[in-house]
Amino acid sequence: MTTDAPGHLAIRGLTKRYGGFTAVDGLDLDVARGELLAFLGPSGCGKTTSLRMVAGLVPASGGRIVVGGRDLTGVPTHRRDMGLMFQSYALFPHLSVARNVAFGLEMRGIGRAEREARVREAIALVRLTGKEEHRPAQLSGGQQQRVALARALVIRPQILLLDEPLSNLDAKLRDEMRVEIREIQQRLGITAIFVTHDQVEALTMCDKVAVMNGGRLEQLGTPLDLYERPATPFVARFVGRINQFRARAAGGTVSLGEARITGAGPAEGPVEVMIRPHRIALSPVSAPAETSDAPLNTVAGTVARTTFAGDVLHYEVAVGDAMLCVEEATRSHAGPVAPGTPVRLSWRPDDTLLFAAAA
Amino acid sequence: MTAALAVPPPDMPNPRRLPAGPALLAAIVAVNLLGFVAPVLNLLRLSFLKVDAIGTLRQSFDLSSWRAILTDGFYAELLVDSVRTCALITGLTLVLSYPIALLIHRCRGTVRTLLLVLVITPLLTSAVVRTYGWVALLYDQGLVNGVLMALGMSAPLRLMFNTVGVVIGLTEILMPYMILSLLAGFGRLDPRCEEAATTLGASPLRTFLRVVLPLTLPGIALGCLLTFVLALSSFITPKLLGGGRVFLLATEIYDQAMVTLNWPLAAALSIVILAMFGLALVLYGRLVRKIG
Amino acid sequence: MDERKVSPGLVLLAVPLLAFLLAPVLITIPISFSADPYLSFPPSGWSLRWYRAAFSGGAVLDAFATSVILALIVTALSLLTALPAAVALVRLRWGWVSALEGFLTAPLLLPAIVLGLAILIVFAPLGLLATFPGLVAAHLVVTLPYALRVLSTALAAAPLAAEEAAATLGASPLRVFWRVTLPAIRPGLAASAALCFLVSFDEVVISLFLTGPRLTTLPVWMFHHVENEADPLVAAVSVLLIALTVMIVLVVDRTAGLSRTFVK
Repeated sequence: MTTDAPGHLAIRGLTKRYGGFTAVDGLDLDVARGELLAFLGPSGCGKTTSLRMVAGLVPASGGRIVVGGRDLTGVPTHRRDMGLMFQSYALFPHLSVARNVAFGLEMRGIGRAEREARVREAIALVRLTGKEEHRPAQLSGGQQQRVALARALVIRPQILLLDEPLSNLDAKLRDEMRVEIREIQQRLGITAIFVTHDQVEALTMCDKVAVMNGGRLEQLGTPLDLYERPATPFVARFVGRINQFRARAAGGTVSLGEARITGAGPAEGPVEVMIRPHRIALSPVSAPAETSDAPLNTVAGTVARTTFAGDVLHYEVAVGDAMLCVEEATRSHAGPVAPGTPVRLSWRPDDTLLFAAAA
Repeated sequence: MTAALAVPPPDMPNPRRLPAGPALLAAIVAVNLLGFVAPVLNLLRLSFLKVDAIGTLRQSFDLSSWRAILTDGFYAELLVDSVRTCALITGLTLVLSYPIALLIHRCRGTVRTLLLVLVITPLLTSAVVRTYGWVALLYDQGLVNGVLMALGMSAPLRLMFNTVGVVIGLTEILMPYMILSLLAGFGRLDPRCEEAATTLGASPLRTFLRVVLPLTLPGIALGCLLTFVLALSSFITPKLLGGGRVFLLATEIYDQAMVTLNWPLAAALSIVILAMFGLALVLYGRLVRKIG
Repeated sequence: MDERKVSPGLVLLAVPLLAFLLAPVLITIPISFSADPYLSFPPSGWSLRWYRAAFSGGAVLDAFATSVILALIVTALSLLTALPAAVALVRLRWGWVSALEGFLTAPLLLPAIVLGLAILIVFAPLGLLATFPGLVAAHLVVTLPYALRVLSTALAAAPLAAEEAAATLGASPLRVFWRVTLPAIRPGLAASAALCFLVSFDEVVISLFLTGPRLTTLPVWMFHHVENEADPLVAAVSVLLIALTVMIVLVVDRTAGLSRTFVK
């Protein structure tokens, strides 16, 4: 198969306009069979609207949605064959757990024997055996979550859509469900889209992440791509923590404090400079310079503030006019560097990201 | 295939739109047009027609109904009397309802539900039944006069077939509306404001006058509007407790329509009532804007 | 937990006022058991004669039957008419929905005496006076706004996400409505049915214009009776009606919650 063949789910030029406002602007992407893709972005970026267009709950203003070669663009929701797990779970309060899970099978006219077997199987899959006759209101948030997952999976949908499914859970349960959802998705080999504003969820669970902003796709890539090779300053800022300042590049270098540093990006003109805090090594000026195969960016600065946060130490280091954040893993033998201490900062040129900026 | 995909189709129809939208609304709109809009417009038209001595309508433009209302002293007096009586009823209803509403607002749980049932049950009881109850209370041989005579009064007080009876009966009948309006307005009343006033050294009376009352003004305005408007259009109670001796706008409309059979005059008086409704609404709007 | 104290002064003030509010309803109870041939209090003796009179008098029973059948038909037609309209208003989110809603609830603002007169004048030449269809049509004008309002509130509160979930699971719009929406608004349906029934059953002013000797409703019969005689018969009928009202109120409280239905 050629690489440019459309994926299991292909989205082309998907657009949603509300009056003069464009919520989603020409979204193009493919999801391969069995892949888990995240729509990641701040609230209002169009990720939920895109998901709802895929589900058919919101009519698209333009563009196409194709699943397995079949154009679903004009097909109403109930004939799209997609399982959607809602942020609020959206369980039917008047039906028992078993009846909730059976609902989609009843709609498909599946016979009683098969229906019951599949419901039993789905409930076992989400480890709720024994709760079949409970009403949703009698279950905890995590259990309701599992019912919603079972209900979406039991119909064996072509695509599983997850709309911020973990945002109503407490932190501990969220970690558990993250692992569980991912495991079930991989075991069933189901193509899935996961909408979230939480970068940790997107990076840890998903095969690919589509970062969205202002209705547009900023970057589509693996979690590693996004982190190491952000395509835009927005992606660099949104995924992980980062130092940023503006500068003017000349001959492939920019000045920082009294030094000039090199990085990957445009060689001339105004630029946005970004460096991840934990890629910077901090050492006392008295220590010998670090040895490396490649020349390092090295600047001198003074520690302005030290914060101890358990497993890491946060430093704010004044370098000329700029203030750089530095993160270091806490080591048992060395105490934190006190504020006022002159230090040397060094990092690899590759870890300096340069983006062209408006003048 | 990829090439075909790349072309976005034009705006597509909304898969969730109910094409039946207008059909869903057709029945209710029809009832509204035939049972409300057309009759009311017809009322306006009719007020400019005339009946002759034997009660048949003449289909020609005529101002005699309006001339009668505007020049005949009887109607001027009827109007002033109606407004004065209804204003009195509104004031009484407010004073008698406020403590009950405040009590319900302060209570919680079962007590609150019980009090609400006590207030709503009369509201859902027919006005005829409640007016009959007032007949039994205010009659010459009724409960009130019975008690007064037992206390040594020589002759029964005339509490019925006059304005006193109408005012007492209507005040009671309209109290549930006032109480519910006040309760709706009390939503703004944060108990912490009262507590704050108390901790700042205000006596209960001053807390009430300076904090509670101003905060509940919107509810009071709403309740007064509703009560006044309902009093003005009340018919059953003035008719039964007034015994044909108390003349108010609403009873006059009924008499003109059903007894005298002068429909144009009844229609014109109806328009007058509607105009007064409009006036009350405008006053209310101004008041609410002033309160903020 | 947060027990707020109610001052005894307020209770002392409010209790007599509540007594005043309930007095006319309560006094009908002892009077209905009066043995006297005319209205007086206290009665000189007690008996069930007025209950017997209520159940044996043809006029009362006829009027009662007319009112019940009328109220049932009006309630059924109100729900059948208002439910689709409420769905259209709440779910379609057209720009002019609020204007339409105002227009459809406008009959509530009109005084019954004006509406009654207006309907009388239109119905008279159509031969609808003192007929069942005429009464049904006139009552519908008044009950529909109530039904529409209660059902709209219920529909707006029904979880949209559950409906969407049903659609993604393969339910067509009609099945979504039947299987998810309808069960969710069941309390609202009960409340609006009870409200329509009571409004129609108690309606007297408009009915006064539209009834005649051949066809009369219970409240109209009572009105004419109180107008013409002062005897305890109406008290006996009233007690039965109050019992009916309390029952309906309790049903509403159980299904929809009293405060939610009436305190808005």
